Amino acid sequence: MAEGAGRDAGIFASACVCGVASGMFGISGGALLVPLLGLLFAFTQHRAQGTSLVAVIPPTGILAVLAYSKEGFVSWRTGLLLIPGVFFGGIAGGALAKKIRPQRMRQIFAVILFLLGAVQAVFTR
Amino acid sequence: MVCARRVTRTAVWLIILLQMTLVILLLGLGVGVLVGLLGIGGGVVLVPALVYLLHLDQHMAQGTSLFVLLPPVGVGALREYWKQGQVDLRAGVLCALGMLLGAYAGSFVALPLASRTLKALFGCFLMLAAILLWAKPRLDGSVSRRSEEQHHG
Repeated sequence: MAEGAGRDAGIFASACVCGVASGMFGISGGALLVPLLGLLFAFTQHRAQGTSLVAVIPPTGILAVLAYSKEGFVSWRTGLLLIPGVFFGGIAGGALAKKIRPQRMRQIFAVILFLLGAVQAVFTR
Repeated sequence: MVCARRVTRTAVWLIILLQMTLVILLLGLGVGVLVGLLGIGGGVVLVPALVYLLHLDQHMAQGTSLFVLLPPVGVGALREYWKQGQVDLRAGVLCALGMLLGAYAGSFVALPLASRTLKALFGCFLMLAAILLWAKPRLDGSVSRRSEEQHHG
């Protein structure tokens, strides 16, 4: 039981870190949560992804959105147009993930992400 | 003459608007597939896409991305994982709580920063996230093999 409580506390603390990244960078935090659950708490890949999806279902970013919108940093129209696509795409992706081994897919994604990050970090005009 | 020109201008404007709308809709769809496939929220792709494809300012892209992620866009994907029993509900709820608090704190770090500083920081963060994503599979393979052995043994 103590071990369970320690694990819970650890997971909560990791999620807090992901949350800070989420508010800072306007992301859901799942991109950080998935590898952390796997690396620190020995979740299998599929389980880490399913659990991360639970964490992004409630509007965890609501306080952050309010803070951004107070400064006028939300494009509501663009956002509203994006939502249906992300929703239906999510269903397709979830069904696809069952069929393929996401290992290679994730590595390709990691490379794209790294290059994207490098471009953002270097070309900051 | 004038009337014709106005009609043409309106038509061009409409086409551009339609094009933009279509681009945004397709972008959403592409991001959504990644959400389901990788169990992420989609912001890591959404923010750069908004910056480079739609030319939003870094702060604006982040605020908009956070807004897009407010409704449960991942619920369809979650259902697929749930059917396979690949969900740790207790851990997920704990993570949601932690992220609610953390995100609020994080927004206060980001908002006073200059856009270009934030953009550079975001780039560094993406690289870190990429390394973590890459690092995972090796360990995953060994863990699942170990649990398989336990099941058999």
